[in-house]
Amino acid sequence: MNDRSFVAAQDFLLSAKTFWTTTLYGAVRDSYADKASSSQDEASASVEAVAEALEDTTLYQFYAWLERHLQRMKYAGRYGLVSYHDERRAAFLDSLDQIESEGRLLELNENLDLPAYYTGVDIHQHPGGVWSDALAGIVYERGARTTTPLLGAAGKDVHERFTDVALGDGAPKTVLDMGCGFGKSTQPFYRRLPDSRIEAVDLAAPCIKLAAGMAQKAQAKNVRFRQMNASNTDYASGSFDLVTSTMVLHELPPKTIGEFLDEAFRVLSPGGRMVNLDFYSLPDAFRRFIHHGHARRNNEPYMGPLAEMDLSALLKSKGFVDVEIVPFKESDDIDLEANESWRFPWTVIAATKPDGCTS
Amino acid sequence: MTRESKPPRAEQQFFDDPAIDRIMGAFMSLATEHYVLLDRFRALERELAKSGAINSAALDQEPDESERAESLADRNAFVEALMRPLLGEQDALGAPGKFSLKTTKSGA
Repeated sequence: MNDRSFVAAQDFLLSAKTFWTTTLYGAVRDSYADKASSSQDEASASVEAVAEALEDTTLYQFYAWLERHLQRMKYAGRYGLVSYHDERRAAFLDSLDQIESEGRLLELNENLDLPAYYTGVDIHQHPGGVWSDALAGIVYERGARTTTPLLGAAGKDVHERFTDVALGDGAPKTVLDMGCGFGKSTQPFYRRLPDSRIEAVDLAAPCIKLAAGMAQKAQAKNVRFRQMNASNTDYASGSFDLVTSTMVLHELPPKTIGEFLDEAFRVLSPGGRMVNLDFYSLPDAFRRFIHHGHARRNNEPYMGPLAEMDLSALLKSKGFVDVEIVPFKESDDIDLEANESWRFPWTVIAATKPDGCTS
Repeated sequence: MTRESKPPRAEQQFFDDPAIDRIMGAFMSLATEHYVLLDRFRALERELAKSGAINSAALDQEPDESERAESLADRNAFVEALMRPLLGEQDALGAPGKFSLKTTKSGA
C-alpha cells in the first residue's frame, strides 16, 4: 500500500468516526431521552433499563457496529495501521535502532514476566496488543493520534492539561509516571521540570523504547524509561514527591488496582501526592450504558469494573488522605453537563500520603 | 517477547441477523476503497492539469446533450446490473426457492 492510499483510508475512517461521535451519538442520546420521558424518570434509570430501551433498536445497533468496526478497520485489514507499518518494517526497525538502546534514558528487562490480564486481550483492538511486536509502540502512537476525534479540539493537548492539574503551583523534585506507554504523558513533566528527576515505567518494551527515542530527540537529561510492572517497582519507599498515571487504572483488574495503589503509596514521600487521569465519572445511567458498551466493543475488559468501584473508599482504606475525584475537561469547549458528543468520562483521581507516614 | 498464535474468535454480533454484521463489513471495506480511489483520482487530475495534459475546467463542465446521450446505454447497463438482483429471478433455469437437505430421507 502506498502512503497516499493509507492516509486517504485513515482520513476516511476518521471522518466516519467523527460522524459517529457527533451525529450518531446525538441521535442515540435523543432516542433514549424520548423513550425515557415517556416511560420512567431518566435520572433514576438503571443501565439495564437503558439497555432494555435501546439495544434492540436499529439505530443503536448501527451505532454499536460502527464503534467496534471503525476501530477494527483503523488497526487491521488492508489499510490498517498494522499492515502499513508491517510493509515498512525494516525502515521502522532502523529508526528504533537509532535510539540509545541502554543507559541514561532507557532500561529494558527482557526477563520481565508480563501478567496474564495484560497479554490475554488485545486492548484497543490493536492486533497483538501494545507489547508483542517490536513496532507496537510506533503503531500505538500513530493510532492514538485519532482515537477521539474531538480530543484537544480547542486549547491545550490533554497531557498538557493533566500536567497543569498534577503540578498545580508546585515543582516536585522527583516524579514517577506509572504505566507511561510511549511516553506522551511523561513529556510535559520532563520538559517543564528540567531540574527534577522524572522516572517512568511500563510493561511494554516497544512503547518505552519509542518514549526514550522521543526524549532523546527532545535532548532531555532528566528522564529515564524503565521496563517494569508499576504495581511492583524496585524504587525505595518514599522516593517520589509526585506519582502520576494517565489512562492506566482502567487497564487493570480490580485486584491489581489495589496493588497499584499500594505501590504508589509506598513509593510516595510523606506528604507526596498521587494524581491519576482515568475514565470514571459517569453522571447518569445513559452515559454508564454507553461506557460499558464501549469497554466491550473496544476490548477493554477492566474499564467496566473500574467504573463500578468505590475509588474514594478504596483510597482511604489504603491510607491516603485528601482524596479528590473530579471530572476533567479534555478540551476548552467541553460542557460537562451538555453531553453533546461522545467522549470518555475523563476524571482526575488524586490523593495524598499523610505527612509523617513512613510506611 | 512475542505472542503465541491463537485460533480466531467469533466476532461480536450487533444485529439480529449476523449476516447484516458481515455485509456491513464488506460495505465499509468497499466504501474505504471507494474513497481511496477518489483521492487518487483527484491527485492524478491535479498532476495532469499541472503538466498541461488536461484542462480541469473542461472536466468540471456540465456535459452537453450529445455526450449524455452517448453514455446513456452504458448508464442503463450499469443500473441494470446493480438493480436486477433485487427482483430475485434466475439467470439460468434451475430449481426455484429456498432449499434444505435437513429433512431429506432416502425413499421419502
